[in-house]
Amino acid sequence: MTERPGETVVAPPAAEQGRVERAAARADDRPLLARVLDTGAGRNVGLVAVLVVLCVIGVATADTFATTSNLLTILTSASIIGVITVGVTMVIIGGGIDLSVGKLMALASVWATTVATQAYGPVVMVFCALAVGAGGGLVNGLLIAYGRIVPFIVTLATLISAQGLAERISGKRSQIVTDPTIAAIASTRVLGIPLLVYVFAAVVAVGWVVLNRTTFGRRTFAIGGNAEAARLAGLDVRRHTVLLYVVSGLCCGIAAIMIASLTTTGSSTHGTLYELDAIAAVIIGGTLLTGGRGTLVGSILGVLVFTTITNLFILNNLATEVQNIAKGLIIVAAVLFQSRAQRARS
Amino acid sequence: MTGDGAPPLLEMRGIVKQFPGVRALDGVDLDVVAGEVHCLLGQNGAGKSTLIKVLAGAHRPDAGEVRWEGRAVEFAAPQAAVQAGIATIYQELDLVPGLSVAENVFLGHEPARLGFTRPRELEARARALLARLGHPEIPPGRELGRLSAAGQQVVSMARALSRRARLIVMDEPSAVLDADEVDNLFRVVRELTADGVAVVYISHRLEEIRRIGDRVTVLKDGRTVARGLSAPRTPTAEVIRLMTGRTLEYVFPPRTAPPRDEVVLDVAGLGRRGEFADVSFTVRAGEIVGLAGLVGSGRSEILETVYGARKATAGSVRLRGRALRPGSVKAAVRAGMGLAPEERKSQGLLMAEPVYRNVSLPALDRFARAGFMRGGAELAAAAAVTAQLDVRPADPTRPVRTLSGGNQQKVVLARWLLEECAVLLLDEPTRGVDVGARSEIYALVRQLAAQGVAVVLVSSEVPEVLGLADRVLVVREGAVVHEAPAAELDEARVLDLVMEGRAVEGSRP
Amino acid sequence: MPDTPTAVIGLGRRRLLAGVAGAGAVAALAACTSNAPAAAPPAAPAPGAPPAGGGGNAAPGRPVTIGFSAPAADHGWIAAIAANAQTAAGRYPDVTFSPVNPTNDITQQIAAVDTLINKKVDALVILPNDGSQLTAQGTKAMQAGIPVINLDRIFDSPLAYRTWIGGDNYGMGVSAGNYVGQQLKAKGVTSPIIGEIAGIDSLPLTQQRSKGFADALKSFGFSVGPRQAADFTAQGGQRVTANLLQAAPRLDAVWNHDDDQGIGVLAAIQQAGRSEFFMVGGAGSANAMRAIQADNTVLKATVTYSPTMASSAVALARLVAQGRGLGDLVEQEVPASITLASATVTKDNVGKYLPLGFES
Repeated sequence: MTERPGETVVAPPAAEQGRVERAAARADDRPLLARVLDTGAGRNVGLVAVLVVLCVIGVATADTFATTSNLLTILTSASIIGVITVGVTMVIIGGGIDLSVGKLMALASVWATTVATQAYGPVVMVFCALAVGAGGGLVNGLLIAYGRIVPFIVTLATLISAQGLAERISGKRSQIVTDPTIAAIASTRVLGIPLLVYVFAAVVAVGWVVLNRTTFGRRTFAIGGNAEAARLAGLDVRRHTVLLYVVSGLCCGIAAIMIASLTTTGSSTHGTLYELDAIAAVIIGGTLLTGGRGTLVGSILGVLVFTTITNLFILNNLATEVQNIAKGLIIVAAVLFQSRAQRARS
Repeated sequence: MTGDGAPPLLEMRGIVKQFPGVRALDGVDLDVVAGEVHCLLGQNGAGKSTLIKVLAGAHRPDAGEVRWEGRAVEFAAPQAAVQAGIATIYQELDLVPGLSVAENVFLGHEPARLGFTRPRELEARARALLARLGHPEIPPGRELGRLSAAGQQVVSMARALSRRARLIVMDEPSAVLDADEVDNLFRVVRELTADGVAVVYISHRLEEIRRIGDRVTVLKDGRTVARGLSAPRTPTAEVIRLMTGRTLEYVFPPRTAPPRDEVVLDVAGLGRRGEFADVSFTVRAGEIVGLAGLVGSGRSEILETVYGARKATAGSVRLRGRALRPGSVKAAVRAGMGLAPEERKSQGLLMAEPVYRNVSLPALDRFARAGFMRGGAELAAAAAVTAQLDVRPADPTRPVRTLSGGNQQKVVLARWLLEECAVLLLDEPTRGVDVGARSEIYALVRQLAAQGVAVVLVSSEVPEVLGLADRVLVVREGAVVHEAPAAELDEARVLDLVMEGRAVEGSRP
Repeated sequence: MPDTPTAVIGLGRRRLLAGVAGAGAVAALAACTSNAPAAAPPAAPAPGAPPAGGGGNAAPGRPVTIGFSAPAADHGWIAAIAANAQTAAGRYPDVTFSPVNPTNDITQQIAAVDTLINKKVDALVILPNDGSQLTAQGTKAMQAGIPVINLDRIFDSPLAYRTWIGGDNYGMGVSAGNYVGQQLKAKGVTSPIIGEIAGIDSLPLTQQRSKGFADALKSFGFSVGPRQAADFTAQGGQRVTANLLQAAPRLDAVWNHDDDQGIGVLAAIQQAGRSEFFMVGGAGSANAMRAIQADNTVLKATVTYSPTMASSAVALARLVAQGRGLGDLVEQEVPASITLASATVTKDNVGKYLPLGFES
C-alpha cells in the first residue's frame, strides 16, 4: 500500500539530470566487460576488432595499405554503399526492409543522365535523381503502409520494376555523363579529401542525428520495436512508415548522383546486389532484422569492413571469389561475436 | 485423496537457482503425490516460473535434489523431463497455429511408419484423447489457430496425455478463459486426477485454488514458506498473509471526492459491425465507469473503438463536447485520451526500451524543439512521474522487460499521467499483476479520478469492477444490458447479468 | 468535424498547391526520360551493312525467314549484337527477320528456340546464353532441317550448328599483348609493371583473353603484374581500378578487357590523377574509339571483338538458307567455321574503325 498523500516529486534540476544514466551505470554491479560492452562504442566492439585485424593484415601484407591515398580510396569506395546503408538502417530499425535500394539508385542515375536531363544542367540532374529516389521510396511506403503488403514483397517488386524501367529508359546502354559539374564531383578534393567522402560523412552525420536526437528517430525505434504499442500510444505509424521509405529512397537519389559522377555513367547495371551488401552491413553492425534496435555507427563500420576487405584483396592481387568467401565468413563471425557480447551484457 | 501417507511422485528439496545478479530460487521444497491438484502460489517474482522451468528441464538447478518416483534425477533438457512423464503447459501456449489439432497433439512423436506419417491413426488417437478430456466436439482435423483459447488449452492437455504424462504443470491456465471455460477446465483437471495424474496448478486467482486445489505450497522470495497446506481448509486470509504479509485479497482505497458534474466523455450510439451495437454512455470528470462482461462479450472492442484503435461503423465519441475522428488513435490521444491495453507486452510497451522512453512515447513532441529532442527534459519528467507511481526499481533507464508485471503496468499508467489525459481507458489493468502491486494500481486509479480524470475500466474480475467503479455497465453479446451505480450491485447480481442467457455448464455450442 | 472552416480551406489550398507542384514535377521528370539527342548525329553509316560489291551475294534470292535468339542486353556489346542483326536483315529484301524475346534465363531461351523450330523458319541465328546448355536445341533444329548459325558462344557439338562465326578471345588477348609489348619495347622499358582488368573470371572467354595476353607478353619477356576481375559494368570497373591503382603506385601499361567497364576504369584513373602509363581497351566501343582519336586520356588503343559479327551471321544464314556459297570463295557452300580476327585500333587507324564501333 503506497498511499503517500501530499508527496510532491521534484524533477531533478536540468544540470543534474542526464547524469541519472551515468549514476545508474555507476551503481551497476555487472562485471566490467559487460559494462564496457554496453557503452555506445562498445556495442560495436566486435566490428572495431575486425577492422583493426584487417588493418593489421593490410599493413603486414601490402606496403601501400597504410598510405593516405589508399585509405581515401577505401573511404571513397565505401561512400556510395554507405549512403544507401544509412537509409536501409533506418528502414530496418523501423521494422521494415528495403530491397529496392540498389536498383532505385540505378534508375535514378539513369533518369538523371539522359540526354534530355543533362541538357537542363547539373541542378536539374541532381533534382531529378533525388526526386526519382524519393518517389520510388514514396511508392514503396504507400504500398506498405496503406496497401498493407509486406515490405519484402513491395520492395522486391520495386527492385524488379526499377531495373526494367532503368533498362527501358537507357536502352540498356551506359549513359555517359557529359555535364562537367557532375563529372567533376568525384574528382574534386577539398583539403585533400575527395568530395564524395564529405557527402558520405554528411549523410551519416545527418542520419545519426535524426536517429538519435530527434522525435523522428525515436518514433522509428518505437515503431520498429512494437508497432501496435506505438499506434496505441497515438503515433501515426502509417505516415511514419511512408516517411522512412522516402528517406531510404532519398539516400538512393544521393547515391545515384555519386555513382554517376564516380563512374561517369548512368546505367541500369549500377547497384546490382547493393541491397544485400547494405543489409549485410546492417546485420553485422548489430541491428536486429526484426526492428526496434540498432545503431547507424555499426552499419557504417560494417560497410567499412566490407570495403576494406575488397581493398585488401586487390592490394594482394587475390581473386574475387576469395573475397566473397571471406565476406561470408565475416558476416557469420561478426554476428556470432555480437550475440555472445549481447549475452555477456545481460 | 490427499496423499500425506502416500509416497510422493515428485520431491524437490532445497532447490537453488542463481542468475547473474539474482538468486531466483533460494531453497525451494515441493512434494507432489499422484492424483492430487497441487497449487503453487506466490507473488510475481517469488520464483514460480523458475521453479517450473527447473521441473521441466529448461533450467538446471545450482543446488538441491529432485526425486521422481523415488529416484534422484537430473533433467538435462526439456525432452528428458517429458520422457520421464512431466508435461508443462505454459502461459503462452507452445502450439503451432498452422497445424491441425491432431498434428499439434502428436508434435514431435507423430505415429509414423518408416518416416511416413499416418494421418488416419493420428486423428483417431487424437480424437480418443480429446474425448477422454471431455471434449469430443473438437475436430482433430481443424487448424489449431481457429480454436478458442480454451480449445487450444485442451489441445495442450491432450498433448501432455499423449506423452503419457504423470505430472502436468499448468501455468495460469485460467488467465485466458472466461467463467464457463474455467468450469470446463476444472472438470478436465478432475478427470485427470481421477486417473492418477498429478497436476501442479498455478494461478493468481485465490478462489480458483479453493475450488480445485487439494494442497497448496506457497513461495515467497525464492523460498518455500508453507508446503502441503490443505487447499479447501486453509483460509484465504492466511494464504495471502503467507504470500505477502498482508491480510486482505483486494484492498480498495476509500472513495474521496464524488464525481463532478462535467461530462467529459460522451459515447452515443457507438457500433461496429459484427462486434457490438448502439453503445451509449457518459463519463463525468472524476468518475470511474466499469464495463463488466465475459471475454468475447465486446467489452474490449468497445473500449478500443472509443479510443479509435478500431474504426466505429456507427455513432460518435465526444470528448468535452468535441467529436473525435473515428478510427484515429492520434486524434483521441491529442484530445486527451489514454489507453492501458489488455495485452501489456504486445500492445502497450516497447519491451527492450528503457522505462523513460516508454513513458514519454505519446508526449515526444513536448520534449522536442523543431523535431530535435531536448537534452534531459524527457528523462527528468519521466523520472518524476515514475517516482510518483513508485515504479520499482527506481531507475527510469532500465529496460522495461526487466520489470515485474505490476511495475510494467505502472509504466503504462505513468505514460498517461505524464500526458495529463482527461480520459483514461483501462483494459484489465491488473491482469498478471501480483497482489501488492494491485492495491497500488487501485489506489492510483482512485487518485487520478480524484484529480478529475474520467476513467473507463474493463475487467474480468467482478470484485475489481465493483470495488473500483462508481457506475457499472454490464456488457453481453455486444450490447449494454444493464447500467447501475456500483453501490447497488453485488458480485452475484453482476455475474447473473453477465451470464444470463448463456449456455448451462457443459452444453457448449 | 468541429474544425474551423478557414483551417480546412487553408489545408485544402496547401494540399492543392502541393498536388499541382507534385504533378508538375512528375511531368518534368517524365520529360527527362528522353534520350534522343537534340540534334541526332546520323546513325553510324551502316555498321551492319553487307559489304558492297562482293561476289554477287547481294543479289536477291529465294525469300527466307531467319529466326534470331540472343541474350537480353545488359551490356552495350549485346545490345549492339541485336541491333546489328536487325539492321543487317533489314537490308535484304528477301529476308524476313523473326527475333524472339531476348532473355538471360537459359530455360526461356530454350523455349524460345523451340518456338522458332516449330515455326519452321528457314535458318536460325543463335547467340546462346551458354553454349553447352543450348547444344541440344541446336542439334534438334539441325535434325529438323533448319540450318543453325551459331554466333560467338560455341555449341559443344558440331552437329548442333551448320556454321559457327565468332570472335577470337585468345586472339584478342594476343593483339593486346603484342601492342603492349611493342610499345614498351620501343620505349626501352626493361621490367615493366603491366596491369590487367579482366571481365568475369568464371567465363571461359575471360580466361582465353587472359591466356592470350599472358602468352603474347611472354614472347617479349614480360609478365602480368596486378590483375583483377571486374564484372563488365562501369561500376565494377571503377571500384576495382580505384583499388588496383593503390596496389600499384607505378604502372607502365594496363589492359582492360572491356570498353563498357572501361568507362568506369577511365573514371577511376582520372579521379586518381594517374597518367604515367598507357591503357589498351577491349571490344571496340565507339566511346573508346573516340577517346583514342581525341588522344587526351591514357587510353591509346583497343582490340576489337566486334558485334558486327551479328550482321555477318545474318548474311551467312541467308546464304545457307538459299543454298548459296560465299561470293569470292570457290566452294559452293558457306564454310563451317569463321573466326574473326581481332584488330588493334590505334590513333593511326581509328578513322577506319569508328563507324564499326558500338555505342556503350
